[in-house]
Amino acid sequence: MSKLARVSLPKALAYRGGQPMIAWLLHRISGIGIVFFVSMHILAAFFLYSVESTSTTGLVSDALTAFYEALPMQVFMLFAVLYHAINGLRIVVLDMFPALWKYNREAMWVQWAVFLPMFLLPAALMIMRVQI
Amino acid sequence: MVTPNASVARGRSGSKFETVMWFFTRVTGILFLFMGALSLVYANLTGGYGNMDAGAQMRWAFFPISFHVESSAVEVTPNFSNPFWQAYSFLLVAFAATHGFNGLRVILTDYIRRPLLLAWVKAILLLLWLLVLVAAAFLVFVFTG
Repeated sequence: MSKLARVSLPKALAYRGGQPMIAWLLHRISGIGIVFFVSMHILAAFFLYSVESTSTTGLVSDALTAFYEALPMQVFMLFAVLYHAINGLRIVVLDMFPALWKYNREAMWVQWAVFLPMFLLPAALMIMRVQI
Repeated sequence: MVTPNASVARGRSGSKFETVMWFFTRVTGILFLFMGALSLVYANLTGGYGNMDAGAQMRWAFFPISFHVESSAVEVTPNFSNPFWQAYSFLLVAFAATHGFNGLRVILTDYIRRPLLLAWVKAILLLLWLLVLVAAAFLVFVFTG
């Protein structure tokens, strides 16, 4: 649990945390993105099955479904899930073996080397709509 | 005079809740990797290979219930419509919702300074978490079409 930060926005933006800060930020952003997507998806699917499709709830569920089935959202979800998984794996491994924390910087470069091909290849396939 | 700080105060209260959730987050995080890999491999071995785009692969990995791929080119087989995969899917969603909503609680605790507002936000999170669990239970066990 971090202590509450009492800094202004310009100061926060000027803070140069480097790689660890980027990883922390992306982990939070991807985590929030996944929670919103999954909750939206489950609730929209629930209402699509349980209410009249012409009712307001049905129309809202239809719109939500169209939103999260759109290509940009799918690519973002691939990014979020993959980044959150790989970064989370690094955190779990380093927490399990705290002696390894001194190799955190190297671990982060390895992480990018694993993440980028795993993200870019499927993302390209999704954009080109290839059947795997 | 030290200003009261919600997160520090909770750390001293002697409650094991934060430690338990810290451990839960890590254990389920690893579990998602294995569960996702298992359902993905199984889906590809039982006729999915060659019939799915990358999005469908992701949908199979994280929710292996047959109606989940009706919108893709996959032929919906009864492989995933049995009690094992229903229990599997529900556990996966329940763990994911708990992992995710606990994460949201941690993030919001970092930014909301007024204790009363934080209490309300946590109550709303708890309600949303239960709503998602109930909706997921209906999707897995009731709407099997």
